[in-house]
Amino acid sequence: MEIRALVSAMWRNRTGPILVAAQVAITLAVVVNMAYLIQQRLETAAKPTGIDINNIFWVHLEAIDPEYNYEAAVRADLDYLNALPGVIAAATSNGTPQAFYALGLPFAVSPEQLDKEGAHVARVFMANEHYLDALGLELIAGRNFESSVVAPPAQDVPSGIAAWAPEVIITKYMADKLFPDGNAVGKPLYVGLVNRSSTVVGVVKLLQGAPMPDEQFALSNVLVPMIPPGPDSFYIVRTEPGRRDATMARVEKELADRVPGRFLSRIEALEKTAAQARFTFRSSAIILSVIGVFVLAVTLVGITGLAAFNVTTRTRQLGTRRAIGARKFHILRYFIVENWIITSVGALVGCALALAAGIKLSTTYALPRLPLYFLVAGVVAIWILGLLAVVVPARRAASISPATATRTV
Amino acid sequence: MLLHDTRLALRSLKRNPILSLLMIVTIAVGIAASMIAMTVYSARAGHPIPWKEDKLFAVTMDTRDEGPPPPGLPLRNYEYPPFTLGYQDAMAVYRSDIPRRSVVMYRTGQLVMPERANIKPFYVPVRVTTADFFAMFDVPFRYGGGWPRAADTTAEPVVVISKYLNDKLFGGVNSLGREITLGGRQFKIIGVLDAWMPHPRFYDLSGGGFDLPEDAFVPFEWVRAGKMFPQSISCVRRTSRVVNFESLFTEECLWLQSWVELADSAAHARFQDYVDNYVRDQKQRGRMPRPLNNRIVNVSTWLDMNNVVGDDTRMQVIVAVAFLVVCVLNTVGLILAKFLSAAPIAGLRRALGATRLDIVRQHLTEVVIMGLIGGALGLILSFGGLRLLHALIFSRGLETSDNPARLTLAQSFTHMDFSMLLLAVVLSVLTGILAGIYPAWRIGRLAPATFLKTQ
Repeated sequence: MEIRALVSAMWRNRTGPILVAAQVAITLAVVVNMAYLIQQRLETAAKPTGIDINNIFWVHLEAIDPEYNYEAAVRADLDYLNALPGVIAAATSNGTPQAFYALGLPFAVSPEQLDKEGAHVARVFMANEHYLDALGLELIAGRNFESSVVAPPAQDVPSGIAAWAPEVIITKYMADKLFPDGNAVGKPLYVGLVNRSSTVVGVVKLLQGAPMPDEQFALSNVLVPMIPPGPDSFYIVRTEPGRRDATMARVEKELADRVPGRFLSRIEALEKTAAQARFTFRSSAIILSVIGVFVLAVTLVGITGLAAFNVTTRTRQLGTRRAIGARKFHILRYFIVENWIITSVGALVGCALALAAGIKLSTTYALPRLPLYFLVAGVVAIWILGLLAVVVPARRAASISPATATRTV
Repeated sequence: MLLHDTRLALRSLKRNPILSLLMIVTIAVGIAASMIAMTVYSARAGHPIPWKEDKLFAVTMDTRDEGPPPPGLPLRNYEYPPFTLGYQDAMAVYRSDIPRRSVVMYRTGQLVMPERANIKPFYVPVRVTTADFFAMFDVPFRYGGGWPRAADTTAEPVVVISKYLNDKLFGGVNSLGREITLGGRQFKIIGVLDAWMPHPRFYDLSGGGFDLPEDAFVPFEWVRAGKMFPQSISCVRRTSRVVNFESLFTEECLWLQSWVELADSAAHARFQDYVDNYVRDQKQRGRMPRPLNNRIVNVSTWLDMNNVVGDDTRMQVIVAVAFLVVCVLNTVGLILAKFLSAAPIAGLRRALGATRLDIVRQHLTEVVIMGLIGGALGLILSFGGLRLLHALIFSRGLETSDNPARLTLAQSFTHMDFSMLLLAVVLSVLTGILAGIYPAWRIGRLAPATFLKTQ
């Protein structure tokens, strides 16, 4: 194949090819990094939570009567909710996972470790004996809380946290981090801020506090057996599949009026809460995809445009080549190879650009470095799309009849 | 002459309608993407109170422990001190008489009990603050005003409410002297605000900064008198022990914003000295182990430190501009192709006496016209795109609020103001010129004889 002739012909009219190569380079850099970011965002949004999200709702009640007996009301509400037909379990807590609400505390194995190595910050969820069932969490070691260990409500959040509890349940992620040599059950866990220690009695397989890119922040969660301080109450209710909405409607109608001096301020399916927490990840993924598609489309138009222009200006030359023996296949091959060289040069420059942009991206967003297979996939995609973009004009070139050469244009 | 150039340009555009359309659409999408990204960017990057840029300062002190950042916390810019202060440090700032005005404050949420039975009790965000807040941030009043400084230490039961709360509770009439129940206590209304939406809400950037101001403002001493727990609190030091509400005042917990208004740069220098000396003194007492790092910063620096614009917004602008560059490169290629294919006409015109400059000018006119048409189309596209963005993203959650200011806030992100329109025009002309200058120059350079021979 006449590569040298082809290249030197291209060099004589280099403006067009250089423009297309530059487009390809920028496009590759943009699209590869966009794709990586989109993948990261979607992956964060799609990570498993360990929670039976679709069958859970939560409800929040506000007390307005100064005489309101919070503790009695919580006991009565939990009895009522747990006895409802279709309800698997109902628990009270200080807030639901999957929302961005967070009570974070510093944990360590011992005060010495906390001082030396710093804290393992984890979210704290107040729980009772029904909490695991109410979220559908899987206990993989140890045991659940007994109802007798669940502390009555404290005056306010600081005093509740300060009193702490004799036992806690932690996530497997946290157990692996804090107790790397195996069994966490039975070991003490130290809480920095309140200077207390308690025994780990159980380990749950997975509990994602909130969908966040940072694994440690998402998966480090501690359950502590206590009724949250009042006077507002918060309940998490899990139903049998398919009975969530009906139960929600019934609870919305009945629950608040069972005890005077309060009202129901919010009731929501956990599915909705979780979707809202993922909204920013999803929406930015959509925006980035739209931009990526546009960039690609414009570049492909550019490739097609250049090839079409070349076909038009070279009509006589192509006719001549056909007349002196070149076959359709040769013409087709000529255009495809020419285009391939242009896209490859562009892709080569694009790789450098993409890597540079990737480094900036990973420092800005604290992401791992752009994986090389994204780059490889990007180059292959550019080759294929470039090929598709040139096929139509190249076929038109191949179909030029040899007789054209004999006519004047 | 311009008319003649324009006529020729239009004729040339009509000669290759598909190619012309392709170029116009390419320019249009490039400009639309850039305009959308820049509109959202400018909404986030605006200065909320430019006339006080050299007067208002946020006060921060480095109260952190020594050592590396705690793992697992997504801490950005660890070089900066924390953005909030603890009680005793904030009070030390407040005691200084160097600032003309000084504010210590925090945000909380409290239940409002309406007197009218048809409204359910509801939560409102409340700012517990010292008296200077309103004068310092130029908060507009509709009725009444703020409280005297003396009210800060006595927990006087007075409240300033927002326009929204006044509309909701009192139908918008002058409600001065009436009472509302806030967090179970009666407060007398002494002021009603006019519409006020600092954008971003610079004085408290927790939660991203794009939120409405609070709906009620009460004197600072209510923190104790009303046990109004702060909405966000962080107890940073390893030695902090939180046992009850009083711990807020005695322990190393960060929950207060501190702002000062300083007369001039000399006052700023003196105040910086004052804070530094305070911190040195605290070091003697075994507190604040880190090197001196107290930043007393103006609003722009403060917004920058807090990354209010956001990495995503910044990246979207970069990507959109890269996209516009691709579009321009693309258009250069297409225009070059188009001009070269019409080179014989240019050759003929040269032969008939047109100068080289005439040819270049005529071709540039054509490209600028194309840029303007593309720009106009791009503007329409960006209006559509911004609408879509509003519907899909910014209008989220509006249906759960009856506060009309929420909608205004949401729309501000996708609102194109006059300067943006101007930018669009400049951008489209610039795009046209950038895309056309090389092809026009190439055409102008061609010797007319080459083309005349082949005719």
